[in-house]
Amino acid sequence: MQRILVVDDQADLRLLIRLSLRALGEVAQAANAEAALAQLAACKPDLLILDVWLGEGMSGLALCRQLKDDPALAGMKIMLLSACGQQSDIAAGLAAGADAYVVKPFSPESLYDAAAALLKQ
Amino acid sequence: MNETRDAICPTPAPLPQDEARRHQVLLDLNLLDTTPSEAFDRITRMATYLFKVPIALVSLIDTERQWFKSRIGITLDETPRSVSFCAHAILQDDVMVVRDACSDPRFADYPMVRGEAAVRFYAGTPIAAGDGMRIGTLCIIDKVPREFSDAERAMLRDLAGMVAGEIAALELRAAFERERRGANTLRTLLEHLPDGVLLLDATGQILSCNPAAERMFGAPCTELATHSSATLINMAPHVVLRHEGNARRIDGSSFPAEISIAEMTLDGHVQLVATVRDVASLRAERERVRAANRRRHEYFRTASHELRTPMASILGFSELLLKREFDAATGRELIDIIHRQATRLIGLVNQMLDLARIEAGGADQLHPAPLDLADMIGKVTSALGDDAQAGRIALRLAPGLKPVMADAVRVQQALGNIVSNALSYSAQDSAVDVNIVLQERDGQAGATVRVRDEGVGMTPEQRKRVYDAFWRASALPDVPGNGLGMTIVREIVMAHGGVIEIASAPGDGTEVALWLPMHAAADAGATI
Repeated sequence: MQRILVVDDQADLRLLIRLSLRALGEVAQAANAEAALAQLAACKPDLLILDVWLGEGMSGLALCRQLKDDPALAGMKIMLLSACGQQSDIAAGLAAGADAYVVKPFSPESLYDAAAALLKQ
Repeated sequence: MNETRDAICPTPAPLPQDEARRHQVLLDLNLLDTTPSEAFDRITRMATYLFKVPIALVSLIDTERQWFKSRIGITLDETPRSVSFCAHAILQDDVMVVRDACSDPRFADYPMVRGEAAVRFYAGTPIAAGDGMRIGTLCIIDKVPREFSDAERAMLRDLAGMVAGEIAALELRAAFERERRGANTLRTLLEHLPDGVLLLDATGQILSCNPAAERMFGAPCTELATHSSATLINMAPHVVLRHEGNARRIDGSSFPAEISIAEMTLDGHVQLVATVRDVASLRAERERVRAANRRRHEYFRTASHELRTPMASILGFSELLLKREFDAATGRELIDIIHRQATRLIGLVNQMLDLARIEAGGADQLHPAPLDLADMIGKVTSALGDDAQAGRIALRLAPGLKPVMADAVRVQQALGNIVSNALSYSAQDSAVDVNIVLQERDGQAGATVRVRDEGVGMTPEQRKRVYDAFWRASALPDVPGNGLGMTIVREIVMAHGGVIEIASAPGDGTEVALWLPMHAAADAGATI
């Protein structure tokens, strides 16, 4: 059973992702960077789905950079999720170390495919 | 001169070949119909002494008349050209002499001959002006026939030469005056030109400059001349159409400048004219436009983000509902989310349109009318549709309140937003004080509505962002809204020529003061 952690400040979006990826494994969730860090310390997921804009506090990009530098989390894939879909936004996301960048709105099916592909790697 | 015999038909002189040019030269002298001048009168006076004649004239031949610039012995200012001796005299190169007009068929019937004046003798010399055009004569007249010797002819020629000399002097003075005015105009123009102008020799040495250059570089011309032009304009002086750089004042400070240098030849020497334009304000304006564009870009970027977020739920959940099976309760829950997000989306679109409308329309889209602010708060309270919330509002009115001049719909929208924020960001049992007072601002009568809550308050950073489009204080995530409310409130206040101020500290509540003028603002609608 693979483990996925969804970090998004919007409850509706967390539910949508959870329902979309249910077949891939166990989907846990966190509403902000702090909650995410607490969960990551307890248990390393195989895939982290991270919203770029997490409201006030640490941004998804900064969190992504920090986690990619953490040797304890090596091997964990990170998928960035954002409603900002310009080329420069995507480039910034990949530069922060993300393995994939998905633009909102997205189709649950394509999100599933993208997550499955990352988990297979 | 009063001619009575109508059988007479005097012979007028033919027109000179170059009459049009001749007449133009006369007009250009600006002598016709001017006041008598001693310079000419002394010559005609001298002629009457020398030739012992009663009449001497300086006659100018106009189109239809001869007009006397100087006259001794007659009181007329002019006579018709058709009966003028002088009109004949200007056709000749030399002195024209009529010994006895009565026996000359050309003149015998002239009124001057037949009438009271009884002219018998005439001698006239053409006077040339400009490029040899004969504009009139110096002539002498006697009432008895007489002879005219060669010596006398020579003398008359000399006197005519003196008249021509006076006219030449006048022409010279007029030309000089024109030149002086032209030079004056150019000098004044240079003095008032906002651009600095430096005159350089071929090596770049400063020869002179205009006052704008003195101001720009910070020293009088004589001192600038001791500095290298290359240092001042911060480039090697050479012909350039437009160079944008930084010029240097003599105190070493610099200013953004646009420099153009042209070459010219003056009295055989090659010189350079450097024009320096201070473009500091131009650059500031450019920067302002750039910043406005950046803000607009940022607005659209954020707007796109905000529109996409509810869209993600709507599209995502509807696709799940279409492709998967859910039990009735879960299905209903998902449809509820879709409905909620779609409602949020349309609210967002409406607010964005509303903001755009206020921003674009400014004061023009307002319908100001006398407005009782206390009534307004009453309307805002009842529009809450929630007695518990309405009960938290404590209204206090200063005595002697007068109505303000404002758009009722927009003011209700603004106050509604402020009151709703105060209720939302404070404890459910705390009061929200609304206080209305008369207040003068910059000499303008008006009223202030203060809305004060005892809620969570804001940090200075949060307060700075209150008016940013889509920004929300997220301390209480359950409070609905899209971050456009206060942006719209500020635009409404600006359009009214009003002022909005916010005082707040974390944990110490927030006070929003909204001031509106009593009279419609003449120049409202400024936006930052």
